[in-house]
Amino acid sequence: MTFWERLRRRLRPPRRLSFTREGKIIVVLSVGVGFAAINTGNNLLYLLLGWLLSFIIASGVLSEMTLRALTVERRPPPRVFAGEPFLMEVVIKNGKPNRASYSIEVEDLQGKTPIDKRCYFLKIPEAKSQRTSYRHTFVKRGLYTLSGYRLATKFPFALFRKSRDVDAPLEMLVYPARVPVPRPPPRALTRGDAIADRLGRRGEFFGLRESRVGDDRRDVHWKSTARTGRLLVREYEDELARRVVVAVDNALPKDVREAVADGHVTPAQEAQVSAVERGISIAASLAAAYLEVGWTVELVSRNCHVLPGNGRMHEAKIARALALLPYEGEETPFSDMPKRIESVLVQPRGVPAIGRPSTQTVMDA
Amino acid sequence: MRFAVAHKAATYLMVGFAYLAMIAGGGIAPMIALAGVVGLIGSWWWEPPNVKLERWAWIWTLASVFALIYSVLTAVVTGDFLGVGAQFLIWLVVAKAYNRRAARDWQQMYLLAFLMLVAGSVLNADLTYGVCFLGFVITATWAITLFHLRREMEDNLLVKHAADRASERVEVRRILDSKRIVGTRFFVGTGFLSFGVFIIASIVFLAIPRVGFGFFLKGHKGQTFSGFNDGVKLGGHGVIKNDSTVVMRVEIDAQYGGRDKPEVHWRGVAFDHYSKGQWTRDPASPWNREIVEDGNPPSSVEKHKIIWPDAGPFLRDAAVKQGIWLDPLDSDVLFGGGIPRQYEVAKIARKRKQLATRNQEMRLDHGETLHYTVWSDFFPPPPDELRAANGKLSPFYENVYFQIPDEVRRDAELYKRVDEITAGLTNNYDKAKAIETWLETNLSYTLELADPGSVEPIHFFVFQRKKGHCEYFSSAFVIMARIAHIPTRQVNGFLGGEWNEYKGYVAVRAGDAHSWAEVYFPGKGWVTFDPTPSAPGGELGRGGNGWTAKMGRMLDTLRFQWSKWVIEYDLVSQISLFKDIGNAFKRAAVALRDVFKWLLSFWPL
Repeated sequence: MTFWERLRRRLRPPRRLSFTREGKIIVVLSVGVGFAAINTGNNLLYLLLGWLLSFIIASGVLSEMTLRALTVERRPPPRVFAGEPFLMEVVIKNGKPNRASYSIEVEDLQGKTPIDKRCYFLKIPEAKSQRTSYRHTFVKRGLYTLSGYRLATKFPFALFRKSRDVDAPLEMLVYPARVPVPRPPPRALTRGDAIADRLGRRGEFFGLRESRVGDDRRDVHWKSTARTGRLLVREYEDELARRVVVAVDNALPKDVREAVADGHVTPAQEAQVSAVERGISIAASLAAAYLEVGWTVELVSRNCHVLPGNGRMHEAKIARALALLPYEGEETPFSDMPKRIESVLVQPRGVPAIGRPSTQTVMDA
Repeated sequence: MRFAVAHKAATYLMVGFAYLAMIAGGGIAPMIALAGVVGLIGSWWWEPPNVKLERWAWIWTLASVFALIYSVLTAVVTGDFLGVGAQFLIWLVVAKAYNRRAARDWQQMYLLAFLMLVAGSVLNADLTYGVCFLGFVITATWAITLFHLRREMEDNLLVKHAADRASERVEVRRILDSKRIVGTRFFVGTGFLSFGVFIIASIVFLAIPRVGFGFFLKGHKGQTFSGFNDGVKLGGHGVIKNDSTVVMRVEIDAQYGGRDKPEVHWRGVAFDHYSKGQWTRDPASPWNREIVEDGNPPSSVEKHKIIWPDAGPFLRDAAVKQGIWLDPLDSDVLFGGGIPRQYEVAKIARKRKQLATRNQEMRLDHGETLHYTVWSDFFPPPPDELRAANGKLSPFYENVYFQIPDEVRRDAELYKRVDEITAGLTNNYDKAKAIETWLETNLSYTLELADPGSVEPIHFFVFQRKKGHCEYFSSAFVIMARIAHIPTRQVNGFLGGEWNEYKGYVAVRAGDAHSWAEVYFPGKGWVTFDPTPSAPGGELGRGGNGWTAKMGRMLDTLRFQWSKWVIEYDLVSQISLFKDIGNAFKRAAVALRDVFKWLLSFWPL
């Protein structure tokens, strides 16, 4: 970095300055003392005026020094759900080799606006870092971008609050809200066979897999477990049939979609949006619940299809798809609706009638 | 040091310095000032858990209301709003110190401390204010920084985040008792910071243009010292105190100043009319001052020329220049050595009120303190010239400077004594010298006053008591000279002073107040005659050369520098300073250019 680049970077505006109550008092006092000094010619009042002004100048210089060479790292949790508070870890590092920084505030920025929480650091010793966290809640699912962070200080005299915005984009995916759902196996019917017919039936040995919650201890393959050090269980062909399709309807009328895009939603439209959002939340929660007990889950929606799968990775895949699921029109068909649906857990309004009975409603969407 | 203790100590020091700055000028009754100090010290321990503050709140409120009513009534009755206001400030700061509960209370203490400093700027112009101000700047930096950290801690660190449980309160006391937050390094660092603040404050102070408008400005009475009086009344009884307060400092060329140089008469007021033991000014006598107009553009200096009918031309080169820093006096008169010819004072934006000046006095409508320059004739014409000065006097002199009251005209014994003293002498100079010598040799000096009763004071002094202080000597001289038909007048001012070898100036003290006489010689002007017997050590070397005297003079040097560069720093000083700085830069630029030239001389091309 050349000298000029460094200089330009050091002098880079903007520094935001907002006067505190004390700052306003000092300014009023300065004006009053200045007027009295000029009026009376009393040099001691000039001296006091000099002190007040130098106090303001020193405050500006020191706050600038305090904000220099500070870097912030934000560490969000791996999964964030709409409507649930999460802890954002904030690590601040003081790069100054021989000067501590006092009284630092850090705020995350969404666009140009700080979010409602901030972190406070009383003292960051020279060449050291400190960490803290703030609690925040995103109300809606979706992809949020924290454009950067704001470093601010009122040090040393709290006359004004000086802040510096730093660009450091951070994307956060907020999964749909988690809602309580019935635990599987569901009361769903499958085409042709009742679940009852299948209960307790063991098929051909298929292979070994890692144990999951709910596995029968009798299925533990002790030899392999002893050899690998991991708890492995036998998997039978029949288990592959424990498959569920989560279908969710993300259709909204055109006017409602436009209103959502504009941000001017009427109460009636809001009700419609809430219904779809609730459906998405239920779908996400159901998918998570089934995946947790080892079922294979497939997600179907308008313009969105997540192929069947299981395991943690698949859960994240479905959650991500649902977090980003856009609203579609009624004319948009469901993507790749499977010909054979073992369980349809969410009643989509537009799912075509397939077989007998066409669907089993678990939750009204 | 524990954080809370550090904050409290810094705050108390800050308040203490502001308090001292206010009371050190002596404008507050000593008992009240002392009570305030005791109250502040006592409040250190008056806090929870020692005391339940809420239980006492109503008593403080009631007492504050009473103090307010008392202060308003006292101020209205006495008219001393400043003094009473300062006393009320003391009450407020003590009351606040006993009621430290929330952040707001600390803030109010800081504001009150600042107001005390403002009050001190009017009540105390002494060096002590400067010392207290420096202390205030340092401790205020500590106190306000610590207060800021404390409040931020209380606002931000009381909520602890935890992943698996709700936020909970952290105990405030634990943080305030922590010894890890501030240490020696913090205090040294902020000490340097406050030094920086002080430097910037000084630069700002020196740079702000000095234009005094004087709107709503009310004249402030200076201190009354024993010694100089803007009036003379003989009589009374008691002992005149010898006040060592420095009232005036005079920078003068080294050829006139020095510890072995003769004393100088610093002329102030002059009187021409004597009656019943009292000297006054004849309202018929004309003004004797004119303001010299500037050229174009006008200068920053206001020039006042002292004139009389046959005054010779004012030759600046022949006159002696004196730079005078005058401390507050209960008078608007300005002083000058010898026979002053021209006074120069910095202009102010507002037009000064013209004050009546007679008998070659110089009076100026000014604030508490003043810096001015005066040009004087220090040396009278040679005796031969004065003996030959027999020109005709203008009627004005006849009417004013020969005045003798009836009670003296009836004093045949005094007339007879004058005739005896001046017998055989043919000119005014010899006669005046004879009277001066007679008074010096036949009467003695004392500071003990004696009441003359119904006897005319000069007769009482010359024939009965035969001793008195300088006003008796000068009054007797003037009246006796007038009996001998010599135009004379009585003058009050200061005599001599103490030469300060460190900065080359004369420190004139209140105790140097003196009274003498002036005799008029046609065509030659006024000449000083001092009939008071000389005290031992009459030169400027008074004070001695002992280490205590030297220390005293060093301390006075500091006071003088404070007075010169702070209290009486005016537009003239400012312009002079800027010129000096400009010249210094020019010299530095020239030096740099020369260095460059020298370096370039080695350049191969």
